Amino acid sequence: MATVAISLIRPQTENTRPPRALWVPFELGRPFGPPSDPAFQKRVILAALRLVERADGPVIIEDFCDDDPRAQPDPSWRRPFDHAAVAGGPGEVIARRLESEIEMLRGQHDRWIRQRGCTTLGLSGLLVAECARLAAGSLRGEALPSPREEFSPPLMLRFAVDDLKAYCLEAAAAGAAKPSSRQLGDWFWDQTASGAALHAIRTACLASNDERLKLIAGNFMVPAARVRATG
Amino acid sequence: MTRLTDLPPAQAKRLAELECPDFTTRPWVTGPPLPQRRVAIVSSAGLVVRGEMPFRGRDPDYRAIPAGTQAKDLLISHISINFDRTGFQEDWNVVFPLDRLNELAAEGLIGEVAPTHYSFMGATDPVLMEAHARELAGRLKDDRVDAVILSPV
Repeated sequence: MATVAISLIRPQTENTRPPRALWVPFELGRPFGPPSDPAFQKRVILAALRLVERADGPVIIEDFCDDDPRAQPDPSWRRPFDHAAVAGGPGEVIARRLESEIEMLRGQHDRWIRQRGCTTLGLSGLLVAECARLAAGSLRGEALPSPREEFSPPLMLRFAVDDLKAYCLEAAAAGAAKPSSRQLGDWFWDQTASGAALHAIRTACLASNDERLKLIAGNFMVPAARVRATG
Repeated sequence: MTRLTDLPPAQAKRLAELECPDFTTRPWVTGPPLPQRRVAIVSSAGLVVRGEMPFRGRDPDYRAIPAGTQAKDLLISHISINFDRTGFQEDWNVVFPLDRLNELAAEGLIGEVAPTHYSFMGATDPVLMEAHARELAGRLKDDRVDAVILSPV
């Protein structure tokens, strides 16, 4: 059967030489372009699928040159709340700030669900307050629990952290504005208690004797571009 | 933030220089025009239907996503955190364009949408995925799919 690959990293596609590929200039994580823009997405899909009809193989790599308009910041977007940047502090302080912030964002997250009709939380299988408690517990030095027997404690922590991030970012995006991923990421990692908590959890886990915890915290908790030199 | 030049230099270098599989053959098939094709999505975004087992680390197998799946029931469990998830949070079509395929089928621009779509977790070593990929190809053939969109994340 004929295949057509969407390519986000053109050098990888050039090296792999698939039968048909369409390189797109979008951010990683957005292979079909901007969210909530069906016409744009359809142009991407059709540009890809039309390569299936081409007969001039065995390797076709074409470019889709239109940029994602949603990559631009939206000046009308406002952060969910304004407070001083959270630089850190003792584990107990960060843990309390985290739990408090998750509660503060509840109204905004409810608004998101009303707008979108869904949420992407769910990997951990826990309620978001339970995710916050689990993350806060790790900041307090408590032994990591695993409420789901199929997940090891480090994996449970990873999924709980994934759900916390999704909750905060969805809450921050609720409303009429269309913030870019950069705007949302800058807010989350630099200005929230949750972001500060994840930096602190990562640092603490990297000092642990549990190799699996070190691996997960080191690689799968804070994006490489957001890791701070001081941890 | 859309091209390699917009990424942090270390990440851009790692992605550009990533070792890729070296295929000795160049498979090539042609077929009918799009309005006669049945189209499936095979993603490497670590997609999983809510309630099913997420990808745990670098699992080499795949998950099936029935065409009746709704946006509220699809999650990303990809191990990498170095890509944007806010687009998917707002609109699943950014990663899994099932709504768009259904529209294209309704407009007659493609023939049909396949009854099942699939996802791997793309950070897994492709060598380990091969047996699963061959099995998946058999399932696509059984479903009479003749056009597959291979989508990264």
